Amino acid sequence: MNQLVIVGAGPAGLSAAIAAAKNGVNVTVIDEFMKPGGRLLGQLHEESNGIWWNGVDEATNLFNEAIEFHIQFQFETSVHHVKKHSNHWDIQTDKGMFKSQALLVATGAAEHSIPLPGWTLPGVMSIGAAQVMANVHHVKPGHHGIIIGINVLSIAIARELKLAGVQLESIVLPSCNLLNKEASQPGVVFQKLAKLAHLAPSPLFKMGGFLTNKLSFLEKLVVRSFPKNGLKAWGIPIQIRRAVIEILGEEKVEGVKVADITPSGVIMKGTEKIIDVDFVCIAGGLYPLTELIGVTACPFKFIPSLGGHVPVHNEQMQTPVEKLYVAGNITGIESAKVAKAQGKVAGLSVAHDLHYLQDHNAIDDAVQHVKKMRDHALIQFHPDINKGRNELNGASITN
Amino acid sequence: MNEKDIIICRCEEVSYEDIVHLTELYQCSSREIKLRTRAAMGYCGGRTCRNLVDQIVSEIKNEPPADNIPLTYRPPVRPIPFRLFGGE
Repeated sequence: MNQLVIVGAGPAGLSAAIAAAKNGVNVTVIDEFMKPGGRLLGQLHEESNGIWWNGVDEATNLFNEAIEFHIQFQFETSVHHVKKHSNHWDIQTDKGMFKSQALLVATGAAEHSIPLPGWTLPGVMSIGAAQVMANVHHVKPGHHGIIIGINVLSIAIARELKLAGVQLESIVLPSCNLLNKEASQPGVVFQKLAKLAHLAPSPLFKMGGFLTNKLSFLEKLVVRSFPKNGLKAWGIPIQIRRAVIEILGEEKVEGVKVADITPSGVIMKGTEKIIDVDFVCIAGGLYPLTELIGVTACPFKFIPSLGGHVPVHNEQMQTPVEKLYVAGNITGIESAKVAKAQGKVAGLSVAHDLHYLQDHNAIDDAVQHVKKMRDHALIQFHPDINKGRNELNGASITN
Repeated sequence: MNEKDIIICRCEEVSYEDIVHLTELYQCSSREIKLRTRAAMGYCGGRTCRNLVDQIVSEIKNEPPADNIPLTYRPPVRPIPFRLFGGE
């Protein structure tokens, strides 16, 4: 029997495996993909100090370290059920059953879709899929595309696609329906963008960032006078006053119908036009991927700033279910560095609970490191992350 | 093609209009919508549309999501071949 099985070989799972194995715990890591790294594999961006963050290198380093500590890996293996028994977990996969004393679920996040007319045509994909095609498989998702959904993820990946030599028409909003009320409002989108002003090269964004912190009527003015053709970030127009109303094509994507929209997101009649593209990326944002926790007795908490429903857990990454742990984006949408720091905490907690941990300050130090990583994160996925985290800690005490 | 024809559940081919119409008519929960339309009951187990169904119902009824997951997860949480359960 394993002492610890970890589901997910991303930054959280790998660093948890290393932390636990370093303390003598015998660890197996299971992942659906054929290689380690999870979403690290797609990441490539420039940090504020000018140094490039290359997720592939980061994943390789973590994996090499894990191998040194004799951690077992099961790739291309899907876990479809987990069941708690008095002294162990049964972990059912498509490659057979694993038994383990402790279970860490580090399954990361999934992408929200934005349903629009024509969104089921071949050639429409999530922005994350385009990222994996370009950065992991080195295949262009198409020759000339458009991105629907303006947010931190779509802007970052747009730049990566550009670096990979893919042509992008622009990044625009979806037209409004019940499923994308916020994502289709130029005002709301602009407010969120302004908080990312430190990342964008455009001076107008920086001005926007300054203004929105002061007065809302100026913000409205900026949204109203936002250039129709958008502002360019790395040569890609970001158009907060334009929306895709339909994706067109017979057998596959051939184009999109776009229209100008008012500051509150209403289509301006007569402005419709058709743009030829051969692929469409939908960027609806991320939510914690909690399915496996959902089949256990672990309670959930709905916290919008963390991305939706998250499993109740404490700062030591323990859930209220004995020997069940979580780490990474399943606990809330944050950067890979936070996920990695959380993984270390989870790995140490397992080592502690299995009576392997010698250094009892190690967990506290690792918990502090998570907070430091969170405060220093270049990209805060949501401005209220700290508030959300506090709410969750409160819930873990009452449970 | 217009907005009402948008497919929400691909496996069971349930449209946006079906879900909006039935939620307005019955003022019901997302679980009831699932049982009435089969949305989120296809072979993928609702991996794409589960959130969409929840979101439409929550918007129409103007109720913020609760802490409990509205459409519960059941094993297997991944599509798997029947042979894994034995037999030929």
